[in-house]
Amino acid sequence: MAIAESKTPILQMRHISKRFDTTQALDDVSLDLYPGEIHALMGENGAGKSTLIKIMTGVYHPDEGQILLDGKPIRVSNSVEAQAYGIAAIYQEPMIFPDLNVAENIFITHRGRGPLVNWNRMFRAAEDILAQLGVKLDVRMPARGLTLAAQQTVEIAKAISLKVRVLVMDEPTSSLSVHEVAQLFSLARRLRDQGVSILFISHRMEEIFEIADRVTIFRDGKWISTLPRAQVTPEGAIRDMVGRKIEEFFAKSQTRRGDLLMSVRGLSKKNVFSGLNFEVYRGEVLGFAGLVGSRRTDVGLALFGIEPADSGEIVFQGRPARIRSPEQALQLGIAYMTEDRLRMGLIMPMSIATNITLPMLREYLSAWGLIKRSAEEATGERFCQRLSIRAPSVHTPVSQLSGGNQQKVMLSKWLNARPQVLILDEPTRGIDVGAKAEVHHIINDLAAQGLGIILISSDMPEIMAMSDRILVMREGRQMGIFSRAEATQEKVMSAAMGQNNEPKERA
Amino acid sequence: MGSLRRYFHPEQLREFSLVFLIVAIFLFFGSQIPGYFSPRIFNRVTSDVAIITVVAIGETLVLLTRNYDLSVGSIVGLTAFFVGKQLSFYPDMLPALALLLAIGAGALMGVFNGLIIAYGRVPSLIATLGTLAIYRSMLVAYPGNKIVVTNDFPKWVLDLGSTSLISIGGFDIKPVVAVALLVFIIFQLITTYLSYGRRLYAIGSNPEAARVGGLPEQQIVFWAFVLCGALAGLGGFMFMVRYGDLTTAAAQGMELQVIAAAVVGGVSTNGGVGTMIGALLGAFMINLLQQSLLRWLRISNFWVDAFLGMLILLAVTIDAVIVSRLRVIWAQTGLETRPGGEKEESHAA
Amino acid sequence: MRRRWEWLRSWESLLLVILVAVIGFNVLKAPFYLQIDNQINLFQLHIEEIIVALIMTFIIINAEIDLSVGSVMGLAGCVMAFLWERGVPIEVGIAAALFTGVLVGVFNGFMVAYVGLTSLVVTLAGLIGYRGLAHVLLEDRSIGNFPKWFNQLGQQPLVWHIPFAMIAFFVMLVIALVILQNSGFGRYVYVIGNNKDVARYSGVNVRRIKMTLFVASGLISAFAGLLLAARLGSMRGDTATGTELTVITMVVLGGVSIFGGSGSLYGVLLSILIVLNLRNGMGLLNIPGDTQTGVIGALLILSVLVPNIAQEVRSLWSRRQRAQRVQAAEEQKGG
Repeated sequence: MAIAESKTPILQMRHISKRFDTTQALDDVSLDLYPGEIHALMGENGAGKSTLIKIMTGVYHPDEGQILLDGKPIRVSNSVEAQAYGIAAIYQEPMIFPDLNVAENIFITHRGRGPLVNWNRMFRAAEDILAQLGVKLDVRMPARGLTLAAQQTVEIAKAISLKVRVLVMDEPTSSLSVHEVAQLFSLARRLRDQGVSILFISHRMEEIFEIADRVTIFRDGKWISTLPRAQVTPEGAIRDMVGRKIEEFFAKSQTRRGDLLMSVRGLSKKNVFSGLNFEVYRGEVLGFAGLVGSRRTDVGLALFGIEPADSGEIVFQGRPARIRSPEQALQLGIAYMTEDRLRMGLIMPMSIATNITLPMLREYLSAWGLIKRSAEEATGERFCQRLSIRAPSVHTPVSQLSGGNQQKVMLSKWLNARPQVLILDEPTRGIDVGAKAEVHHIINDLAAQGLGIILISSDMPEIMAMSDRILVMREGRQMGIFSRAEATQEKVMSAAMGQNNEPKERA
Repeated sequence: MGSLRRYFHPEQLREFSLVFLIVAIFLFFGSQIPGYFSPRIFNRVTSDVAIITVVAIGETLVLLTRNYDLSVGSIVGLTAFFVGKQLSFYPDMLPALALLLAIGAGALMGVFNGLIIAYGRVPSLIATLGTLAIYRSMLVAYPGNKIVVTNDFPKWVLDLGSTSLISIGGFDIKPVVAVALLVFIIFQLITTYLSYGRRLYAIGSNPEAARVGGLPEQQIVFWAFVLCGALAGLGGFMFMVRYGDLTTAAAQGMELQVIAAAVVGGVSTNGGVGTMIGALLGAFMINLLQQSLLRWLRISNFWVDAFLGMLILLAVTIDAVIVSRLRVIWAQTGLETRPGGEKEESHAA
Repeated sequence: MRRRWEWLRSWESLLLVILVAVIGFNVLKAPFYLQIDNQINLFQLHIEEIIVALIMTFIIINAEIDLSVGSVMGLAGCVMAFLWERGVPIEVGIAAALFTGVLVGVFNGFMVAYVGLTSLVVTLAGLIGYRGLAHVLLEDRSIGNFPKWFNQLGQQPLVWHIPFAMIAFFVMLVIALVILQNSGFGRYVYVIGNNKDVARYSGVNVRRIKMTLFVASGLISAFAGLLLAARLGSMRGDTATGTELTVITMVVLGGVSIFGGSGSLYGVLLSILIVLNLRNGMGLLNIPGDTQTGVIGALLILSVLVPNIAQEVRSLWSRRQRAQRVQAAEEQKGG
């Protein structure tokens, strides 16, 4: 594909900025999309890719900057308007109507179709669109029975039927098989050849090199580079993506590795992850690195008994352990702090003290089963002081706290459970730099006190700075464990993206 | 296997098994009860089924959108009583006008339900539990005698209840049955060939996607309740024609039978799943089983409710445990996309 | 979130205002209204419903619902009456009735907590099914002639002017208040109602709590059914039909969100008093029972509709203010 510099861009994002509370999600970012190009957008998690897409499709509104369609400024205030402008997006999890058939899924949200459904015409139209995509699919089949890839195809067909001009594909391949990815790609190329502009987001380097015409890289909400594919090398791309300064991070102080706490052998869960082998020692931070879809969180959930593993053994403090529920995990001394503070982490309308004591509530009950308020308050006070949680009182509902303070409440909740092994899932996501440093300080302290810490993080510099060893995962597989000495950002990123030491079966 | 999967999916399993069950019930009781295949039981079942079916079809529209209407029993009772009263005061009223009055009264109550639920954002459970009581109390508060008797009616009402349109060897198709069949056909067509009907499914199937796609959710839910009310009004008219003697307790608790029919017929309480034929078959099966058991075991009428409750639970449990598991199997063996292949690809390029 | 509690407080104060208004109206209508016997009578007439309202508060705060309470009341009473009819000692009958309540609760709880069906459907089926079983037991008979002490329990004052059922209610109210507002169990009820996932991720055994609640609901409903039998002196298959409506109204009117997680027994206590006084007042005006039920139904709808409308108006208001601010800012920029 010749780069279409001569043509005018369909969609231009001009100097877009967007801020959420304390984080600058996008900082003066510009991006041009030309007709008939597949434009890959790369960046670490949190680089601002999703925010940009959500601005394009009208979910968010930019604080600054403007969007131009065919050179004219437009305002996109919701997804319906975006569709009217010819901008559509498909995601990892397609938004389909499972009870409607394929053809209906394509056409049901169309306006001005008249009150009657002409099934034959609709089936034919649906078949035409699918044929245009070079795909064979039974249009009478209910969408519930379709594979994920087929559902995505239906969504693409829907976008085509709405005369899409800009199609965003947000990590569409992360749950697809190799074969299905190939199908999706030939489909994307067809669309490109029909003049559609495709913004393609993926973490898989080989995919980007296979399909992209141009590659844009974001880092920390900033635009870094836009280059024709021919001028991009994997090393260069990785360097651009990870080129953050590590100095701003609190580095883990060297602690002596203590006794073996837990060893995991061949931990597997069907269709999720398989063959994990690692050890956790006292006083050590074991980092879990990987990209979206690497299934690190699932490993954490398995160790905490929420989604127990199918096979493999866990030896905890010398004894074999079977972990089937969070209660069992807590009894053993394993705690898991979720990445999803809002939905799984804290009861937002309830007070700081209530949230902190929740997992250990039994210890705060009198003989009659009544809550000892003073003990609860004391615990609240203690942690507010120890982790310097800034709040009017321990009775303040956590919803009123800033993200950083909420995070510290969640940490307190699990520290109060006095675990041996503490699994921290994205402990600094969405909190400001100051709070981040504090959290790092706390992690450091905990390790020094002899806890074994598993740190799951998508923040590469954080993982590099805080971990004694780094386990890299990719699509449910363990790609290797790097010691602090041998780990570099490039090495870890390469492993996470499946460069170099790709396992044979997926090559 | 491919074409089998195309036309036969887990949702339809319920309908097929219902037909199978109905046939099995027929055969079993036919061998147990002498004279079972006589027209009497047939005529009796069809008249009752007719009323339940009409109301169940309305309820199904509401269930499809992930809502409930618990007030249909009260709507049926109130319209039956109200129209019965009017007829006894004005015996000269045109039959068509009486019918329209019933449907209109029902629709009006449906409008009230729909306004509170779709636009007032009151959960449908709460709203219709409230209107269930309100409509019933309106019936009780209706001035005058607390009873309507057959003798008050003009002759055509009685005729409508007893004559048969077509009679084949004693098997009658009564007007109420014809009306029910007509309603069934109309709504089967509406839910198949009208955009509105399909949108009912869309909303219940994935409300999130419906919102993102810009479907007018409030409007669709509102009209579902209006239609449900109108059909309950029609059911009220049929109830009056069928039973003649009415008290203030007319059709009390019918909402439960109606929901039972829908749920047994495979209409999901989670929305998006269910057909008119399912509601019809569900109503038919429940009534047939009730009547047959009554005759066979000589058990009292009192078993009927105990039995209904069990049937609902069974249907829902089957849905939760078996059908969802089947769906997983279906999904795993689901179709694959077959692109034209790389050859075609290069042609296009 | 402080604002939410303020709103709740204001909801409760609104209830208080309504209560005072209703009582004031009643006093004007009937000078004897505040006399102790009338006040006791007021409670006594609906004592079973307000006892069930206590456990229903727990269940709705837990983000579930139990529509089968009225049927369980009927079934338990009928079990007792059925056995009594066949010459079984009343004590055994009472035990069997309470056991029936537990059994029903275990069944409901199992279906909800372990099979994973929605409580609405399960208890709707229960509403029909348990009532059906009650009809099966008594058919169309009315069973009475219970032992004198049993009837007196429901009808005669036990201590001073106060009958047994009322004492039972106040004892249970205190226990419920302590459990819901002060115990670990109560904390779990709120936590699960707020966010089931957070509870599970914190090692709370969500299923066991839900199970316990449904069993308690079955047991307490059975107990209420027995009280009703004692008060009426007889039992029929359709006794206590439609109780669920009044009970749910009391709870929702009391400021308990139907989506769970918020509300308190204090609010429910206020709304209980409103419903009781309202019914009594309507009785004074010779409004028949079924119409009273209609008013309760309207009250139920209004108790959800009014806050919704208020919220809508408030958000409309703030949106308009924001729009004005933006406009002003743009004008400033332009000027």
